[in-house]
Amino acid sequence: MEADELLVLVAGGDQKAFEQLYGLVSGPVFGLVRRVVRDPAQSEEVTQEVLLEAWRSAARFDPGRGSALSWILTLAHRRAVDRVRSARAAVDREQREGRRYHDPAFDQVSEEVEAGLERELVRRCLNRLTALQRQSVTLAYYDGYTYREVAERLSLPLGTVKTRMRDGLTRLRHCLGGAA
Amino acid sequence: MSVLGPLFRREDRHSLAAPYALDALEPDERRRFEKHLQKCGRCTVEVRALSEDAVRLAWSQAAPPPAAMRERVLAAVQRTPQELGRAPVRERAPQLPPHVWGTEPPPGRSRAPRARRPLFVPFATATAAAALVVAGLFAVQANRTQDQLDAQRTQAREIAHVLAAPDVRATTGTDERGRSIGVIASASEKEAVITLTGYADLPTGRVHQLWLMRPNVQPRSLGLFEGDTPLVATGLDRTATSLAVTVEPDGGSAQPTSQPVVQLTLKSVGFGE
Ligand SMILES: [Zn+2]
Repeated sequence: MEADELLVLVAGGDQKAFEQLYGLVSGPVFGLVRRVVRDPAQSEEVTQEVLLEAWRSAARFDPGRGSALSWILTLAHRRAVDRVRSARAAVDREQREGRRYHDPAFDQVSEEVEAGLERELVRRCLNRLTALQRQSVTLAYYDGYTYREVAERLSLPLGTVKTRMRDGLTRLRHCLGGAA
Repeated sequence: MSVLGPLFRREDRHSLAAPYALDALEPDERRRFEKHLQKCGRCTVEVRALSEDAVRLAWSQAAPPPAAMRERVLAAVQRTPQELGRAPVRERAPQLPPHVWGTEPPPGRSRAPRARRPLFVPFATATAAAALVVAGLFAVQANRTQDQLDAQRTQAREIAHVLAAPDVRATTGTDERGRSIGVIASASEKEAVITLTGYADLPTGRVHQLWLMRPNVQPRSLGLFEGDTPLVATGLDRTATSLAVTVEPDGGSAQPTSQPVVQLTLKSVGFGE
């Protein structure tokens, strides 16, 4: 059964369907969360929260409006970004208070992740964007920065960042569509 | 204040679709933009497309979680009550952003038809009606036998099938007493899901029977309603002009024996040629 059908069953309290759904979505959810949150323990925690939230609020899923996988991954991204932003806010507080802070959570983990075909495709297509398009998209999506923060980091006007994000995503779509 | 002020402000709001799809807005800005999305079709369409691109970025990061997580999550699920699916989606506090509902599947699945779904399908109607269907389907959970649960499972699958069709449309009809009939249909799949709301009170020994009406042809029975549970009608061809519900003796009739309590034309859902 596909994720869409399973999620409809999960909305009706079907735990067996949830088990099957877990098999389909736990990898994509965990991989995305870990990419954004970085810290392994926190990534596990957020992943569990997201999967449990999918169970709790499955009745909100409406198969007429999109796939179950995008529903869950969008939820996962939102939660991951929330987590990484509150962690950063805590770091900022500590720094304001003059304490030294070392956060092992911000090490790169992408190298250790298994390179699947989709991963390779996306990587290749990201490399076809201009540097500013790529950085605008990935700083926001993979690193959880707001577009204001992205503008600051890249020393660009806000309007330019918004445009680079849109153009980057659109170009990515064409590249992936052509390669699929 | 410049004459161009309001124009620039509006322009600015329209420009937030990409940061929104990337979850790159601050909380206040996000809320304001979600309000804007409710009124702006252009941004809604843009957000939907850009969100699907973002999901590709997500999908490409897939990695197996630690094996022990499975047991933990499944154990937590057993202890965790679910939100009830009874109220229509719109009446529940929306915690998820609109762009959660993308239109295209992530890669790795061969669901080509959905990718061709026109962007201007009346999503608002489809959503409300679909919420009613799912709500009706799961309204009565207690005292179900295994057979009933199996039947429900099959039905959920059929409903998901209709909802996933590229040309899915929805329509509702309400009678003078506020009772309603809802239809979600796909002309290409020749299928429809039909719900009745507010018709629960029936004398004992009576049932609601659903009929397919076509010009110059006897009505064809599409089945009997059991409580709030939706009916799935298959094999509908394009000549189907309307649906009608009559009250019939238990077990149903071969032909309607009374005037319809509610009737609904199928033109707006792609039938009735
Ligand atoms: Zn707009």
